[in-house]
Amino acid sequence: MRMLITAALALTLGPALAAQPAAAQEPSPPLEVGATAPDFTIPGATRYGVLKEPIKLSDFSGKTVVLAFFFRARTRG
Amino acid sequence: MHAYRDQYAQLFNDGQDVILIAISADPIDTLAAWARDDQFQYVMASDADTEVGRMYGALAGRAGLTNRNLFVVGPDGKIAYRAVPFREVDPTAYEELGAALDAIVR
Repeated sequence: MRMLITAALALTLGPALAAQPAAAQEPSPPLEVGATAPDFTIPGATRYGVLKEPIKLSDFSGKTVVLAFFFRARTRG
Repeated sequence: MHAYRDQYAQLFNDGQDVILIAISADPIDTLAAWARDDQFQYVMASDADTEVGRMYGALAGRAGLTNRNLFVVGPDGKIAYRAVPFREVDPTAYEELGAALDAIVR
């Protein structure tokens, strides 16, 4: 009887336990030279404070923009 | 970040024609405070849900973080140069970036 219950639990919970955690990410390869840079709109800040308007890449059309990703604030990365 | 600050004038033409945007998944208030404390001359931007990192292929192995990839977007809106990853402790990384920017801008 206990084996039946255990088996039933394993069948119902098994898939849930095996599922990928929600936060897992599949890193895709970096964009190649020549690719169109995707537009984005995200909050920005300077040393003078948070910018009133978000940063939108297409606002800089015609300029050269360096997008320097980094790991985390206040670390060397 | 500090090397960008210290080399800002010569590397990024002091912000003329070249816009440096440093992006991480940190909250914007964290980035603003850091920019203020360390006096960065350039723009910091918060990719809190790492959607921009995902679009550019700049996600770190760990969830919720971007990595150290760098992309230069030219005036035509296309990727003109990339450093994947940008080797921030290597002086040649800055030389190569400077040369790439020179080729685009000047």
